[in-house]
Amino acid sequence: MSSREAILDRIRGNQPEHRELPVAPEGGMAGADTISQFVSALEGIGGAVYIIPGPDHIASIVRGRYPEARRIIAGIPQLAALGENPATVADPHTLEDVDLAILPAHFGVAENGACWISEKQMIERALPFITQHLALVLPADAIVPDMHAAYERIAALDSVEPYGFATFIAGPSKTADIEQSLVLGAHGPASLTVFLLDERLPEAGYF
Amino acid sequence: MRVGLFIPCYIDQFYPQVGVATLQLLEKLGCEVVYPPDQTCCGQPMANSGFGHLTHGCNDLFIKNFSGFDYIVAPSGSCVLHIKEHLHGEGDASAKQAAGGAGSKHPDGGEHPDGGADIAGKIFELVEFLTDILKIERLDAAFPHKVGLHQSCHGQRGLHLAQMSELMAPPFSKPERLLSMVKGLELTGLDRLDECCGFGGTFCVTEEAVSVKMGKDRVADHIKHGAEFITACDMSCLMHMEGILRRHKSTARVKHIAEILNSQ
Amino acid sequence: MRPHNNHTDHAALAAIFNRDEPRVDWHDQTLWWVRRKRDVAASKVPEWEQLREAASRIKDNVLSHLSGYLAQFEEAAMRNGVKVHWAADAAEHNAIVYSILQRHRVDRMVKSKSMLTEECGLNEFLHEKGIDVVDTDLGERVVQLAGEPPSHIVLPCIHKKKEEIGEIFHEHLGTPSGNADPKFLTHAARLHLREKFLTRRVALTGINFAVAETGEFVVCTNEGNADMGAHLADVHIACMGIEKLVPERRHLGVFLRLLTRSATGQPITTYSSHFRRPRPGQEMHVVLVDNGRSVHLGRPDFRNSLKCIRCAACFNTCPVYRRSGGHSYHTAVGGPIGSILSPNFDREKNADLPFASTLCGSCSNVCPVKIDIHQQLYKWRQVIVREGYAPVVKKAAMQTMNWVLSNPGLYHAAGKTGRWFLLHVPFAVNNGLNAWYRQREMPEPPKQSFGEWYKKNKHE
Repeated sequence: MSSREAILDRIRGNQPEHRELPVAPEGGMAGADTISQFVSALEGIGGAVYIIPGPDHIASIVRGRYPEARRIIAGIPQLAALGENPATVADPHTLEDVDLAILPAHFGVAENGACWISEKQMIERALPFITQHLALVLPADAIVPDMHAAYERIAALDSVEPYGFATFIAGPSKTADIEQSLVLGAHGPASLTVFLLDERLPEAGYF
Repeated sequence: MRVGLFIPCYIDQFYPQVGVATLQLLEKLGCEVVYPPDQTCCGQPMANSGFGHLTHGCNDLFIKNFSGFDYIVAPSGSCVLHIKEHLHGEGDASAKQAAGGAGSKHPDGGEHPDGGADIAGKIFELVEFLTDILKIERLDAAFPHKVGLHQSCHGQRGLHLAQMSELMAPPFSKPERLLSMVKGLELTGLDRLDECCGFGGTFCVTEEAVSVKMGKDRVADHIKHGAEFITACDMSCLMHMEGILRRHKSTARVKHIAEILNSQ
Repeated sequence: MRPHNNHTDHAALAAIFNRDEPRVDWHDQTLWWVRRKRDVAASKVPEWEQLREAASRIKDNVLSHLSGYLAQFEEAAMRNGVKVHWAADAAEHNAIVYSILQRHRVDRMVKSKSMLTEECGLNEFLHEKGIDVVDTDLGERVVQLAGEPPSHIVLPCIHKKKEEIGEIFHEHLGTPSGNADPKFLTHAARLHLREKFLTRRVALTGINFAVAETGEFVVCTNEGNADMGAHLADVHIACMGIEKLVPERRHLGVFLRLLTRSATGQPITTYSSHFRRPRPGQEMHVVLVDNGRSVHLGRPDFRNSLKCIRCAACFNTCPVYRRSGGHSYHTAVGGPIGSILSPNFDREKNADLPFASTLCGSCSNVCPVKIDIHQQLYKWRQVIVREGYAPVVKKAAMQTMNWVLSNPGLYHAAGKTGRWFLLHVPFAVNNGLNAWYRQREMPEPPKQSFGEWYKKNKHE
């Protein structure tokens, strides 16, 4: 008998009687302060947030924040002038020297400042992790209140385009393993900048 | 109201004044109090050490002594909790073992005591008896001192005498409510509201190093906040902390809550 | 090499730990701070207690249909192109991992945090086979270089001071001696491990949650090391205990809200990566490990411990753990949850663990899946004694106690005698043989017991 059969047999013999699944909590409704909740959650975990009218404003902010970035990958069509936008990457190891990656994300989660980004948006799975700095771009109205709402959104997205890999990214990589001292920048990017696009904002200035 | 007084073994032997205070307090509040003379122990020290199967003698003695009262009251949260959760008479143990330890569900989550069933429903720790059964609103007591309240774990987490700091739930404290009725008493604070003192039954000697360290830290927390007396619902916690206080020649002393509530 | 201290028991190891009181204070206060961060995070979620209840019931459901969910997960994963392996025990798990490495002719790999692989002794096994394993979680790398097991399942080197870590890095990574700056040391580790990520073809990760519905699994890290390893490797091996399932993807909402708040007080880890299909050209393997879990599932009193999501909230709140340190538990997973899981694996070696507790009950209150930890500690004590693992001396003492306490006459006589000795011959009691007396005064013996007072002063 294979281990699989032996294990399943033993489990079948030992598992307790049926216990009902609870009614799943429902996702909260986006409210007036969902965006500000997201901003404060993300800033609280070391991320930076800009609310801007459109992607045109990204280039100047990025040049200001990352003046020394030499290799930039900008996975957003409107940012073609800023960096590379390869359709595919033959070998993820070649991304080793990327200083900044600017990628789109599907939506954000207000309760924890996380952004959901799937494989297609990443160009290559390794990119959001191997880059020294990461920026994500998403519509300001694509922020859901909590994780229950997040998984409802993921189910909807997944039914249109199933992901092979996707992740929540909440802030820059970090560790507190050395005497509980928080250090930003562990193995993933050392910083995270999120651009929230809000078309209703006037062109003449941005937050 | 006929109350059977249950005095834990170590209070009987080492802290009789706590028993006296409990009895006097209950009588002051209008109870007819009877002390069954043949009582010994609730069996907790053995059960907590894994020797629950040896406690039949204690259990049967307890049931014999304490049947027939309206209520049973004891100045000890851990002993009362133990009786509530684990008391069962002679015939029950083998039935439980045959069932593979499944047992029947008790609202407390413990085993359902047969033969001791009515006792589990009638036994109360002193503080909860005063607040929940007698429902007293005022107390004719005075104790003009700075007092630190130690939340003994079994009373707090087992009997819900007070809210637990880990739970996201509204705060409350039955012992504090009673202490607030005592004239002149000033309740001092704590950095850690409800950390265990480290007594833990036989733990106090089998894990002596950790037990003492926990006790020292508890005592230091109280003293840091200016407590002259440390009180609690459980004399075992206080006995452990008193041992440490006296070894370190501290001026702070312990006093069981029964004695404080009974002070004039 | 990582030896486990399994030749002495918790009490003895904890006594050694307590010889350095300032260090105990430091360890205790650090972990208490983590517990307080958890409180603050939980207080910001108004429905926190309902979430715990939901998580508990979802896991109850999982355990009651575990065989079905495992089969469902396997089928979905295989459809996604993931190879699924079943390991009955630690040895088989290790052999499976090794065989994958052999097939790819690889002698080195990177590994992100997996307590399961710790439980199986994977690193030692592979080391003996000549495979170089680099642990990439910073805390795990520290203890790996120090030749020690982790002392905490989430914060592996919480027992190490930064100066000690600085010295370890100086010795192994060439950082300047005396440099104990966490930022500098972390950056040094970043560079050192980046080279490993870029050059190794096989990455092994743990699994925080596997979803039966979709065949995907989630790996949560703050550092990004699991992802750096997996997305650069030709082969990704993910290992999990068979109990780490959730039924549907949406249930992750409940668990991801609870996990990191319970563990460190953060709302979520930096990365919560959902792996469903291998990268084109990559091999992805999942190893499902039993190692005693299916047997444990059959114990009505103890099966709840299989709900554990390895958050370590119980460690942080345990006043005993904080003052004895993880190594005193001499087992891969220690602390309160380890004390109810480990006796299942090895009754004799771990018989001491359920007694390393005052049964204060704090652990059960912080557990995000409502495992009745303190009640299981009590029940394990009964099992251990019944099966004959109690020390002989204790057994004798308990039997004497039972005899005395079942007999009122004997009890009164014994009490009177004890008090007489304390009063008149104190050194008979207050001596080096009396463990109580080492650091505490004995209680003052009163002139009469309560029973004697009552007899004199009250009517019958």
